[in-house]
Amino acid sequence: MASGSIIEIKGLSKTYGSGSKQTAALSNLNLSVNQGEIFGYLGPNGAGKTTTIRLLLDLIRPSQGDAKIFGMDVRAESVEIHRRIGFFPAELSLWEGRTGDQIIHYVASVRGDTRGIVKHAGELAERLDLDTTKRVRDLSSGNKRKLGLVIAMMHSPELLILDEPTGGLDPLVQQTFHTMMDEYRDKGKTVFLSSHILSEVQAICDRVGILRDGELKAVESVEKITNVEFNWVDVNFRDAVPAGLQQKLENMPTITDVSANGARVRMRMIGDFDPLLRAISDGYVESLHIEEPTLEEIFLAYYSGDKETS
Amino acid sequence: MIGSVFLETLKQTWKQMVYWGVGLAAMALLIVLMVPLFDMQSVAQLLESFPPVILAMVGIGEDLAIFTTNEGFVAIGFFGKSALIFAVYPVVMGMRISANEEDNGTSDVLLSLPIARAQVIVEKFLAYALSIVGVVVLIYLGLHVGVIAGGVELDVARLAEVTFYLIPLMVFIMAATMLIAILVRRRTVALGIVTAFVIISYMLQTIGAAAEGTVAESMGAVSFLTYYNAGEILSQGFIWPHIAGFLGLSAAMLLASLYRYEQRDIAV
Repeated sequence: MASGSIIEIKGLSKTYGSGSKQTAALSNLNLSVNQGEIFGYLGPNGAGKTTTIRLLLDLIRPSQGDAKIFGMDVRAESVEIHRRIGFFPAELSLWEGRTGDQIIHYVASVRGDTRGIVKHAGELAERLDLDTTKRVRDLSSGNKRKLGLVIAMMHSPELLILDEPTGGLDPLVQQTFHTMMDEYRDKGKTVFLSSHILSEVQAICDRVGILRDGELKAVESVEKITNVEFNWVDVNFRDAVPAGLQQKLENMPTITDVSANGARVRMRMIGDFDPLLRAISDGYVESLHIEEPTLEEIFLAYYSGDKETS
Repeated sequence: MIGSVFLETLKQTWKQMVYWGVGLAAMALLIVLMVPLFDMQSVAQLLESFPPVILAMVGIGEDLAIFTTNEGFVAIGFFGKSALIFAVYPVVMGMRISANEEDNGTSDVLLSLPIARAQVIVEKFLAYALSIVGVVVLIYLGLHVGVIAGGVELDVARLAEVTFYLIPLMVFIMAATMLIAILVRRRTVALGIVTAFVIISYMLQTIGAAAEGTVAESMGAVSFLTYYNAGEILSQGFIWPHIAGFLGLSAAMLLASLYRYEQRDIAV
């Protein structure tokens, strides 16, 4: 295990089917997640995020490779690992006929420490504004997800594995969740969070892994991945956009996606500003606005295989 | 913690156990109360007039004499059919051991807890087996209440043997259902296979019992229902090799289920 690594994945692959019908859900994944960080795992549906998580939890078995959590093999020592982790599944299903309290007691009893865990579950439920006396079948989808979060966190695990946890939660609860994650990090605990809500990842994660078609495309710090070398530039002229400027900009190698509208021209630019400033000097520039790309745009840039932006 | 899944399974199942037990007990009670209304000699004459295949279908073998007794009447009226009706219960419970939880996704939450897959299967199996015992006890209580309330002369000890003989039979059906569900993973497919298994077993038993001295008779030996014959139990008491066979096969299927469940992916 690398120093400080909580999750260590080496060459992990998962394929389904055989022969010509074989499909790879995950290919040769190498990844490590450090203690005390919130790691964001990004990717669209079918990218392999849930497959990775189910492999880590020993719910499915790898075709190749291995994974360790706390330095223990996820298959051979799954029971000991599960004692120290909390899990929230993307498609959360709970026992419909049981109340929140009954499920909390059940899970706590399997964990072997009913009193302490149930007390903490009550505190979490209060923070998330969840009524645990109702049957699961009578809860809204948002409240079911709150109950799922309580179950994942009620034993204060060293590692939280959360698969799309905030979908269906209202903004206020999402904010509470973000605060809880910050508190987790402050306590030196680790979170592995799969999400497609990029603003959420941007807000709470330290590092991000981007997954596409079962392959890990990049692992970067959130700061670094946000600091890619392209910007959106808006130039507002006092009068109309000078004649021929759009064509001139489109011919420049560092500028793409040029669009002109009245007195305004918008473009995506990489590299230095000097060539642009020279090009627009024919007109009277009223204002110039530079906008950093959002994580969504970076995300899409990775997916489109746009090398120049990454 | 050991026993948590067992206790939770019982908590989630006790109502169904009571509903099934009370329903079957009411049926048993009704049959017992009907005993004084029939002249057993007429019943014997009526039975002799039926072709063997019809008698075999209601669970009556070659020993017609036993069925002209009060105990025999209860055996025909209740145990001949109740085994098939009751067979639905262990099928439902066998599906719950793995297939239902995999199908609805709760197994992901359960198996993310510090508990081994094998422990989940064993604890659920034992809890559902206990619920089968509960249903059988309620059936016996129904019979007993009928005997007392109707003042019917019945050998209660022999009736108890026929009743409690249902336990290994039902545990066997549950184990078979569990194994099939673990092998095929999907609830609907598993349910189809188990239903076919029970129906084919019933047909083989019926044909086998009706066609003595033919190939069909040996085919009947393949059916597990052949080894639950209320008339035989009434005349001979517990048939221990059959009980051992049911329990032995159940244990073997439990072991096979544990092995396969440990090896394979959990479905979503």
